[in-house]
Amino acid sequence: MKKILLAAVITCTIKHTAHAQAVNWASLQKSQRHTISVNTAIDYGATFGVGYAYQLKTTLPILLNAEYSFPGGKNLPDDFKTKIGGQIRLVAVSNFVLTAKMQGVFRRYQNPLARMLNFGSDMSATAGYYRQKWFAAAEAGFDKAIITKFKNSPLAKQNFPGIKDGWYQPATGGNFYYGIQAGYSLRLIDIFLKAGSVIEQDFKTKPLLPFYGQLGANIRLKGKTKKSKYKKL
Amino acid sequence: MKKTCLAAVALFLLGAGLTQCTKSKEIGEPGNLVPQTAELNLSMPSIEVNGTRLHTETFGNPADPIIIFLHGGPGADYRNGLNVKQLADNNYYVVFYDQRGSGLSKRHPKDSYGIQLMFDDLSWVIQHYRSSPLQKVFLFGHSWGAMLATGYINKYPAAINGVVLAEPGGFVWEEIKDYGEKSRRFKLFDETTNDALYADQFLSGNENDHAIIDYKIGLLSPFTYAKNNEEGIEGYSPFWRNGAAVNKKLFEIGKNEGFNFKNNLAQFTPKVLFLYSENNRAYGEAKARQMSAAFTNVQINKISSTGHEMIYFAWNKVYPLVLTYLNSLR
Repeated sequence: MKKILLAAVITCTIKHTAHAQAVNWASLQKSQRHTISVNTAIDYGATFGVGYAYQLKTTLPILLNAEYSFPGGKNLPDDFKTKIGGQIRLVAVSNFVLTAKMQGVFRRYQNPLARMLNFGSDMSATAGYYRQKWFAAAEAGFDKAIITKFKNSPLAKQNFPGIKDGWYQPATGGNFYYGIQAGYSLRLIDIFLKAGSVIEQDFKTKPLLPFYGQLGANIRLKGKTKKSKYKKL
Repeated sequence: MKKTCLAAVALFLLGAGLTQCTKSKEIGEPGNLVPQTAELNLSMPSIEVNGTRLHTETFGNPADPIIIFLHGGPGADYRNGLNVKQLADNNYYVVFYDQRGSGLSKRHPKDSYGIQLMFDDLSWVIQHYRSSPLQKVFLFGHSWGAMLATGYINKYPAAINGVVLAEPGGFVWEEIKDYGEKSRRFKLFDETTNDALYADQFLSGNENDHAIIDYKIGLLSPFTYAKNNEEGIEGYSPFWRNGAAVNKKLFEIGKNEGFNFKNNLAQFTPKVLFLYSENNRAYGEAKARQMSAAFTNVQINKISSTGHEMIYFAWNKVYPLVLTYLNSLR
């Protein structure tokens, strides 16, 4: 009766559950090289995050970004997730935009039984309708835990003395996610909201939190807020 | 700036590449993160019955009255119930087994598990260890094991001579659901809650990747004894290996199909010993009385200053009650 009800009750208790920051491609100016973001999310737990994006001087808009997030709790440094990668606007027809994002992931987890360090990847595509003041889009992506280092605690070794620490593969995990995102843009700030579902790579199993959600803000620096200098949306 | 970003990406990729070069272990191989089960490790005490291999141990004289201990979960194991073997010193033949798909017993495909199969396995265990039709058989169930014991005597009331039940969660689905909601308080920004949830992005396995999902469900165990937990559990208690697939399947059956373990209990006439713990705030006297009302002849006892894991943490208080009860029926 101990763990049995855990999964179901978590699912019933927490209604929503997120991912990288959303961008309003219509309000992004070419001169706005730097964007910082803050967010709070339900992303395999209740999390807080910060991010930074740098816009390259390219024909198609490309953002290089780095993100850091951590779940709430007493021991803040023991669990976290970092992402480094890029996001590109692939297609822009009228106000419809298709973008792709690819990030490398490094994350850490620790509880009384084990510590895990993981390298992974997060790839996603977003398609939506973008105006200067607002946007709405759909996204789908895949978060893959490629290789993980396990360090089991003395407690875990007391349970199973033969337990083996070290790097484990093949891919130790992978979850698909899909959802919607919307945002409202002020002069230099985008406020955005995301929500969606998560399912494991077997397309059958759901994680304990089968949803994600994120409320965040992007603050664009060094920019003018006139029309986008990219292809007009 | 551009160079800095590119350097960061390159560093990350280098790190990932280096890890690929290290000698890595196979995530799904039993014996790496979880112990092997009885069908893979033949040196382990086990019996082959009803198309499965069950990890078992016995203590005492095989001719004495049998006590079969039924562990919790579903999917847990009997390791933290081993105090019960003390009853062998009182001339009982104490039998432990890890239920099908649980502990160190054989794993099967998730969809093969069912409640009737668990009953059948118990019948086979009784048949395996009973040396004479006159030999009395008692069941001692904890948590889910107490539910299983009740379901069994509900179905086969003449087969058992007495039962000890320690905090069964419920005899119908609604009672389980109610207990689940009361016994698990989730605080969104709590360390323990996030420890339970955050691991899902590191580790996933399909429903029959037993080594992976068993390890993963084991990572949830600290949640059950977190500070101020509703069930009053004092701390860590040992386990060998959890069975995630059987746990999930039986839970799905309960939720989707329902069950009734008490509609025929009037046919079970021996006295029942029903135990509940003082510190389990999700249980309490009210639930103990409500649950035990299903029996025609029942003795209810509160175990003081302990919680749901009373057999591990308060055996010195449980033991005399159980022994007196069993001696009254032998």
